[in-house]
Parts: sequence; C-alpha cells; structure tokens
Amino acid sequence: MSRLIPKKLITESNPKSPISEGYRMLRTNIEFSTLDQKLQVIMVTSSKPNEGKSTTSANMAVAFAQANKRVLLIDADLRKPSQHFIFGTSNRIGLTTALFKQKPLGDVIQSTNTKNLSIIHAGPTPPNPSELLSSAHMAGLLATTREMFDVIVIDTPPILSVTDAQIVATYSDGVVLVVHSGIVKKDVALKAKASLEHVNAKIIGAVLNNINRNQSDSYSYSYYYGESNDQ
Amino acid sequence: MELKQYWLIIKRRLLLIALIIAVSCLSIGIYSNYFMTPQYEASAKLIVNQYKDSGSLLPSIDLGSINSTIGLIKTYKEIIKTPRMMKIVLKEYPDLGLSYGELIGKVSVSSVNETQVMSISVRDDSYAKAANIANAVAVVFQKTVPALMKVDNVSVLDKADPKEKHNPVAPNPKMNIAVAFMLALMLGVGIAFLLDYLDDTIKTEEDIENVLGVPVLTSIPKFTSRDIDQDHHKESLTPTAGRDVHVSLDS
Repeated sequence: MSRLIPKKLITESNPKSPISEGYRMLRTNIEFSTLDQKLQVIMVTSSKPNEGKSTTSANMAVAFAQANKRVLLIDADLRKPSQHFIFGTSNRIGLTTALFKQKPLGDVIQSTNTKNLSIIHAGPTPPNPSELLSSAHMAGLLATTREMFDVIVIDTPPILSVTDAQIVATYSDGVVLVVHSGIVKKDVALKAKASLEHVNAKIIGAVLNNINRNQSDSYSYSYYYGESNDQ
Repeated sequence: MELKQYWLIIKRRLLLIALIIAVSCLSIGIYSNYFMTPQYEASAKLIVNQYKDSGSLLPSIDLGSINSTIGLIKTYKEIIKTPRMMKIVLKEYPDLGLSYGELIGKVSVSSVNETQVMSISVRDDSYAKAANIANAVAVVFQKTVPALMKVDNVSVLDKADPKEKHNPVAPNPKMNIAVAFMLALMLGVGIAFLLDYLDDTIKTEEDIENVLGVPVLTSIPKFTSRDIDQDHHKESLTPTAGRDVHVSLDS
C-alpha cells in the first residue's frame, strides 16, 4: 500500500509530517478565508513552471478529503499534465476526452486511493488547449461537478506562460498562487497577480513553497509537534 | 530586529563566506610558507650626544639637551635615507653590490622614543648581508656627520654581528594568515550583503505580504527524504485512527 503512494503525495503517505501539517493549514486557511462567500472551485497556479502547483493542488485535495469533504481534483494543465504521475495512474482518459464528448463525465471521474477524493486527469494533449478550456463544455462540466462535490481543486499551467490559467480563473471561486521561495522575482510575482486581477479572479492567498528549513521559525514547532505525536 | 535580519543574510551565505575564507587563508599560507624568500633583519645602534668633544658626558645629561637631541635625531633619520649618504656607503663598501635605490629600500631608521639611541635596521634575504649593510651605514654615517653638521656627536653603540644566527622576520605565515582571514571575512560578508541586495526574489512570508499584498495561506518546507520515509511502514500497518471522525465546520 505504502509503495503505491508516490512520494509527492505526502499528506497521504505521511500525514504526521510537518509538511502535511502545512497543507492542512492551507486547508484551514482557505476554509476560513471567506465566511460569507462560497469557495467551492479553487484554482491553483503559479507565475512560472516548476513552482510546485501540482504537488500543492494534489496535497491540498487530499487534505480536504481527509476532512471528510467530497473532493474533485481536476488537472487542467493540458499542455504538461502531471497529476497522473503524482497519483501513479494512466492519463489515457481525462478532461480532454470529456470536453470532446468522447466519454461521459462519469467515466472520466476516477476514484483514488484516498477516500472522498476523485480526480479528472488531463487526458491526451489537444492541439488547442486554450479554446478547449474556454468552451461552453468546460463551463458545463464545472457546473455539473459543482453539484456532485464539496470542493473542486483545479491544477493549471503557470499564469505567465499561457493564457489557460486566466481562462480557468474565470470559472473559479478563488485562486491560490504558489510561490517558490527564493526563485520568483518580485516583479514576476506582481505580474502574475496583475494578470489574475485582470480577469477579476479572487486571489485567496499565496502558498510559499520550498522555504528554507533553517529560516522558518514556525516550522520548528510543528516538527516538534509532529514528532511528539509519534510516540 | 534589524540585527537579526543581518544575521540571517550572513547565515544564508555562510557557506560562501567560509569558502572564501578557507581558500584565501590556504593560498596565503601556502604562498608564504613555500614561495616567499625569507627576509632577515639586522640592526646597528647609534647614540647621539650633544657634546661629544667636551670630554665628559656628565654635563650634557640634562633634560634640555636630551630634548634637543631628540630633535636632532629626526634630522639624522632623514639624512641617512638620502641618496647622498647611500652613495658614500656604496663607494666605501663596493662589495655590497647594490644600487643606492635598492639600499634605500632596505634601510629603515628608527629612534627609540624619548631616547638618544637610533637604530639602523636593514632587511635582506641573508642575515650576514643585512648585518654588513647595517654596520656599513652606521659607520659611514658616523664619519659623515661631522662634515655635514659641524659637530661630531654620533658614535656607534652596537654593531650587528654577521655570524649570529637569526630567525627570519618575514614572511610571518601566522600573521599573514590572520590578515588574510580578516580581509576574507570582510570580503565574504560584503559579498553576502551585495548578493542579498541584488537578489530580488521572494523568500519569506513578509515578502509576499509586502510585495503582493495577499495573505500567506501556508508555507511548505522543502521536501526531504526524512519526511517521506518517516514511519512509512509502521503507518501502513496501523492506519491512523479517527480518520473518519475528522471534524469539519460545514458538512
């Protein structure tokens, strides 16, 4: 069982890890960030590639599922999908097959090893991802899934590389911006924020990823807490 | 708070600073131990009296004369280092085989504070040669002073012995390494601050709040093998109890 869980899915493989605690904190903070407005569709993006969008969205989805929510994780990074690597499954059917109406939605939504967590993989890479995502099918798919799930987490391409994330942001209730610590320049981050604001997306907040362990003060506490729990 | 931030900046580049220090200390150490020719220092001492030809020293010893002698020594120090003096030294001791420029470079004159004693020190890569030069300068100076100053009040107090064994005064590897350490430390810290100044990436939660103006939902540390493997197998045997009774606010 433990071997089947890929290493990136730490909330599933090692829930007592301080990193998992960090993702649970993300869940809690999202739950509390808006009290009156509903946050059902949460999009995860970053300014540049390789900042940890997919890892964050996967672990965030697991963290929500562990809180007994019905969670759907959608891999909307149609150009370079990676959720099937994280969950160790096939990418043969996914979002693109659903949007091209090749498969019914029920076949596209796959269950995972985590209870309460379902996933829609990206599917085969289409020639026109942006058009596909802005189509009425996509809006319809999200409207349908909103009925079926409590939380929908969407993994998207980097916001500054392609327009896909901006399109998905228009469907979303909130956007989580992943920032790779020590890599992202301040003006780049500001540009990412500006392009999200341009489509009137609601930025819930940022996830500071890959912080240096020596620098974080809060970290030592959660590590202590995590270890004392083990004994 | 400010100080803590400076410490963080240094801590972040501690490896770089240590590397700069290690490399410079090592190279200076090797260079001064194996590549620099050792330098030896010999000195001859001169004593300056106000009234040498009065026969007795006793009447000359009063505070006024000592003070004027100290003033005189300043003049003598300059005289010794003139090309004129050096040329006379070379003429009288042709076996030294030096040009007067070289000779001026090797000779340094000092006076022990508030005394009538002058010391002529010479540096060379052999102690015997340094001693010979120091003695030659001392003797020539003693002979030349009466012609220059119309007063014969300089006598050689102590000559350097060319046959004595002496340790080299330079290079001093420990001193060099200490200096290199200090300079490298300053350079390293300077580079650390420069890099930090030039680095405009987002690193901390404060950066996000200041630059982007959005709240930080969480910060995730770097993944390490420890996080992934910790209690991995134990976990699968005894699944977390209470997974199903997690409390959620809205259901």
